[in-house]
Amino acid sequence: MNEAIPSEYLMFADSVCKRYPDGNVQALHEVSVGIRPGEFLAIMGPSGSGKSTLLNLLGALDRPDAGEVYFRGEPLSKCRNLDQFRARQIGFVFQSFFLLPTLTACENVQIPMFEGPRLTDVQRVRRAEELLELVGMSHRRHHRPMQLSIGERQRVALARALANDPPLLLADEPTGNLDSQTAADIMDLLVTLQRDREMAMVIVTHSPEIGERADRLVRLRDGRIEEDRLLRLDEPVLAGR
Amino acid sequence: MRFSAFMVKNVVRRRTRALLTSFGLAISVGAMVALLSVSDRFKAATLESFRGRGVDLVVIAAGTPDQLNSELDEALAERIRAIPGVQAVGAGLIELIEVQRGKNSSSVLVQGWPLDNPAFRALKILEGRTLQPGDVHKILLGRTQAENLGKKVGDTVIVQKVPFEVIGIYESFTVYENGGMVLLLHELQELSARQGSVTGFSVVCDNVANKEQLVQQVKAAIEALPNATKKRSGLSAMATQDYVDSMALLKVATAMAWIVSAVAMIIGVIGVLNTMIMSILERVREIGILRAVGWPRRRIISMVLGESVLLSFSGAVLGVFGAIVVVKVLVLLPQVNGFIDGKMSLIAIAQGIGITVLIGLIGGAYPAIRAAQLTPTEALRHE
Ligand SMILES: Nc1ncnc2c1ncn2[C@@H]1O[C@H](COP(=O)(O)OP(=O)(O)OP(=O)(O)O)[C@@H](O)[C@H]1O
Ligand SMILES: [Mg+2]
Repeated sequence: MNEAIPSEYLMFADSVCKRYPDGNVQALHEVSVGIRPGEFLAIMGPSGSGKSTLLNLLGALDRPDAGEVYFRGEPLSKCRNLDQFRARQIGFVFQSFFLLPTLTACENVQIPMFEGPRLTDVQRVRRAEELLELVGMSHRRHHRPMQLSIGERQRVALARALANDPPLLLADEPTGNLDSQTAADIMDLLVTLQRDREMAMVIVTHSPEIGERADRLVRLRDGRIEEDRLLRLDEPVLAGR
Repeated sequence: MRFSAFMVKNVVRRRTRALLTSFGLAISVGAMVALLSVSDRFKAATLESFRGRGVDLVVIAAGTPDQLNSELDEALAERIRAIPGVQAVGAGLIELIEVQRGKNSSSVLVQGWPLDNPAFRALKILEGRTLQPGDVHKILLGRTQAENLGKKVGDTVIVQKVPFEVIGIYESFTVYENGGMVLLLHELQELSARQGSVTGFSVVCDNVANKEQLVQQVKAAIEALPNATKKRSGLSAMATQDYVDSMALLKVATAMAWIVSAVAMIIGVIGVLNTMIMSILERVREIGILRAVGWPRRRIISMVLGESVLLSFSGAVLGVFGAIVVVKVLVLLPQVNGFIDGKMSLIAIAQGIGITVLIGLIGGAYPAIRAAQLTPTEALRHE
């Protein structure tokens, strides 16, 4: 454990840099940001400011060129199995849902479970149905994505993100493709789930209303942190996870 | 949902493509299995024809590729019989002869045996009687051949322009004898202008405790005899299995079957490769999703390999059924049904299925590696 990383953080990006060789873009310059257990962090900033890049580093979808990402104090660069780390510790929600088109809602939710704790076929189905219930989609569990409305698709994607009960949910503009009413519904659902499950959540968003609802707001500009502001003074849940 | 169910869904989502690919494989596998099966069954039948009569050694002229080309002096039979440990010797002349069939003619295996050939005893006479001393222009027909020609006892068949009376119809335990004819040795020698010669002898040795050794001794003694026709060098005496293995016709058939199989296999690999690469390329984003939610590279590899084996295996099953039908149809043809039965060689089926699974693995390997190499971020950005 790095002495400089306070142990209260679930995840901590320590001076991470990321540069994309094609286009010669320095997407992140020594960005440091920490997420506490159960905290809701919103990341905002203009297009191209590096929000998605940062989220990818936090989710171990990509590695930083310099700096380090710590999970519960352990550096991810030392982690031998990043696939398993993603499967068990991170839930992903994407702007364009990314559901598998040939699978039903129930089957889509089961996809991450293949790499989670060992479950039987029956247990997987039961768990998927519980999660669909949680996002209000049980009645559509045998429908394929094409047969679902846009908002319903994001609900299913949300259930999939919760498949292995991760301590951290990463969402990249989860309401970016939704109309305002559906977006508000999905946001309510996200916040409720985050509170109920005492799960940390990082949401990248362009919407100021969503930013307002977070516990903390980080604003990026040109790959640097422009602002890191606590919005809620009540302590986030530290215990438990 | 099981992992296997997921793979099945991935394969059937492109129904037409999957069907076409496995249909193409089915044709390859079908050809392979049918050919391998026919050559296997023919080999088994030949072996059977000796084993069933307790034949220990087959004697033909040394250096001849197969029995049909062998030429030996008939009188050698006496000298072989005189060798200690020899119980019985059957001389035989085998010719592939044109037999008139309606307006056409077809090639039939005709065997000429002297009356003392023990092979006569192994023929089960279904109708009429067997050949007897003093018979002139009398012939026995195998069961299948009689059906092919539509001949009954008392009818006449034209062999090499000479009319023969059908005196009996027999059943043998080998398929090509059932598809053949038997007449007296000297009559066949006359027909084929090979007076005094035979193609070979089958030798039955005494049944002693140490038979293996006795057979080896007899073999050595026979091979030491001079061949009086002096056209060829010496005699070759082979254990039945060795003889069958050395038959040029069978070797050629087996080699042909394997060449066709090799070509079929290459075509199969290319077909699977093509299909799986296409399938991977149109699923780049989905693979990105799977990687993002934590599927490791090895699960992606199993998925792609599993899908391609599934594809090729369904082709194999289709192909084996096709081969069974083809062989069943083939034996309906009179040109063919004297030589093979309609049975399939289980070994050939197993080989066909085994090879197809291999095709799936080879054809799927490259696409699987390509798919596994995708990084999640790249794949998710893919349009
Ligand atoms: N794979 C890539 N290759 C090259 N450049 C990239 C790549 N991904 C991102 N970039 C560049 O890096 C910078 C940051 O990109 P990023 O996607 O993190 O921005 P963002 O804040 O998420 O923007 P948006 O709000 O539009 O999603 C941009 O200038 C972008 O063009
Ligand atoms: Mg972005």
